[in-house]
Amino acid sequence: MSDIVIGGKAAAPLSLPTGRTAEAKKAAPGGFGTILQGMIKDVHNLQTEANQAIAKVQTDESGSLHEVMIAMEKADISFRTMMQVRNKLLEAYQEVMRMQV
Amino acid sequence: MDFSLPFKICSSGLAAQRAKMDVITSNLANVGTTRTPEGGPYKRKEVVLGSQSAVDDFDGRLQDALQTVEVKGIVEDKNGIKLIYDPAHPDADEKGYVAMPNINVVNEMAEMINVNRSYEACATAFDATKNMALKTLDIGK
Repeated sequence: MSDIVIGGKAAAPLSLPTGRTAEAKKAAPGGFGTILQGMIKDVHNLQTEANQAIAKVQTDESGSLHEVMIAMEKADISFRTMMQVRNKLLEAYQEVMRMQV
Repeated sequence: MDFSLPFKICSSGLAAQRAKMDVITSNLANVGTTRTPEGGPYKRKEVVLGSQSAVDDFDGRLQDALQTVEVKGIVEDKNGIKLIYDPAHPDADEKGYVAMPNINVVNEMAEMINVNRSYEACATAFDATKNMALKTLDIGK
């Protein structure tokens, strides 16, 4: 693990001024941050779907029980997946912070 | 997410079995119905199931292999209407015979057990898939 790149692009050469790297990072399309954001959005969408399914069944509006359960399980699994990604990220971050300088 | 496809198939299976169960319940409830809106006795109903490709995109290799199930329609079984002699019945004809629904309660019960087991199988498949997903998340722990 010689280069952990959380920004999703190769480490910038040291000679670059810091302002430009920040700019480059922001402009990078499909970077890790974007992917993470998309994933969180997906998780949120699945949870909203589950909520809607629950509301549908509770208000007796042509919702079926198994659809609610499946929507909730989907939301559960996607949330767990997101938590695993977060745990891994934190682990890597803490590993870097523990590094002797 | 690749786990949503088996969930979708499970969901369709559960919905189909639920539909069958509804129709069986209707058949059982109407075992003695002699008067219907369309006239005549209640006729036994049956669900027709059809399959459909579960994958929407064209590049899926499993496209033809994975099929969801859906209710194609509900058909009426018009054969076997029973004529029972009961002159006192309000729906009896001039000879005293009443047309009774063509429902065999024993057959319906057997079919109900069948549907119940299929539903359970779908639910178990769902659980197994979910456990696989959760086990996958435990990799590396």
